[in-house]
Amino acid sequence: MTKEQTFSDEFLNAFVDNQLTAEEKSDAFVAISRDESLNRRVCELRKVRDLVQLACSNPPPPPTRSYTVHRSLWARIGFRSIAASILGLGMAIGWALHTTTPHHNPNSPRVSALTSPVPIKGIKVLLHLNSGDPQRMNDLLDEVENLLKFYKETNQVARVEVITNGGGINLLRADTSPNPARIKQLYRDWNNLVFIACQNTIDRLNHEQNINLVLLPEAVVIDSAVAQIMRRQLQGWAYIQV
Amino acid sequence: MKKLLAILIATVFTLGAGAVLADKYGKQKVIYHVNYKDPKRQGAAMRNIQNHINAVGKDNLDIRVIMHSGGYTLLTRANKDLAVQQKVSNLKDQGVTFNICANTLRGKKVDYKTQMFDVDEKDIVPSGVAEIAHLQDQGFSYIRP
Repeated sequence: MTKEQTFSDEFLNAFVDNQLTAEEKSDAFVAISRDESLNRRVCELRKVRDLVQLACSNPPPPPTRSYTVHRSLWARIGFRSIAASILGLGMAIGWALHTTTPHHNPNSPRVSALTSPVPIKGIKVLLHLNSGDPQRMNDLLDEVENLLKFYKETNQVARVEVITNGGGINLLRADTSPNPARIKQLYRDWNNLVFIACQNTIDRLNHEQNINLVLLPEAVVIDSAVAQIMRRQLQGWAYIQV
Repeated sequence: MKKLLAILIATVFTLGAGAVLADKYGKQKVIYHVNYKDPKRQGAAMRNIQNHINAVGKDNLDIRVIMHSGGYTLLTRANKDLAVQQKVSNLKDQGVTFNICANTLRGKKVDYKTQMFDVDEKDIVPSGVAEIAHLQDQGFSYIRP
């Protein structure tokens, strides 16, 4: 019996929805971490489930962006997806392990916080880049540095995520990045900064242009930039397009 | 007499419609993010803001135009070009706030007193991006035309 047969879609759906017994779940975790195709299937199911949840949650807009509103919102949609989020973390680890020599430790809080349902303290800023214009990329790096310095000088706890998709992914591609040395330096200097690339964009470039994309070691891959942007805004992050 | 009545009814309806519109939107707090130097796009942003004011009413709006990076050219152009100056002035008269990023002024070596139109010290924010993040936290919506 192959693994594909062992784990039916029904079983994986139950896994994604956190409806398995503890024992079944731990078996599934082990199998998924060993089998990449299984891992992909679960990821697909999770993505569909997350998008459905986001589409269905659609709450009336809160009068202000207070944290309590977002926390209760999270409570409504979030706990069901804890298992899925842990899985997402597993995906990230799996991905990091098979990319070349990552500088970052995928278990470090800065990477695991990407998909963790635990609310993040302090100021949270998501900078979105979807343009491949080198001038804008360099401006973005300036802005990131200025922003992090500002929060440090004013003693404010902050986390900044730079998320790239479409042409913006060029920022994090080993062959097109306008300034890999600076990205490396920023990543080393600031442990509250993350550079994210979108898996959908990577797949699309592969299908359409046959590009086997190699990312800078500082980059972390996430399933879908758009889904992450939606998640982050629901969680009360500030969203800024660069 | 009939004519007068018709005008009266029309007036009541118009006022009613205005009231309904204001009720529909209530008060709004909005960031307009300008970080590009393309004059056409900056012009379009100014038009968007005017249309926004027309729809919601200036008394219901707290609009902040946050300029950084290439966006600073909006006010250096306004310093030389009277048509641009007019547009900025009109928006300011309707309560729109224009904020410029200190990092940008330093980086581009711009003297706001001589090279930009009508910028006061209080209009300068330490970091444009941090200001946008802060305002979103205060319940401002984010628009980048």
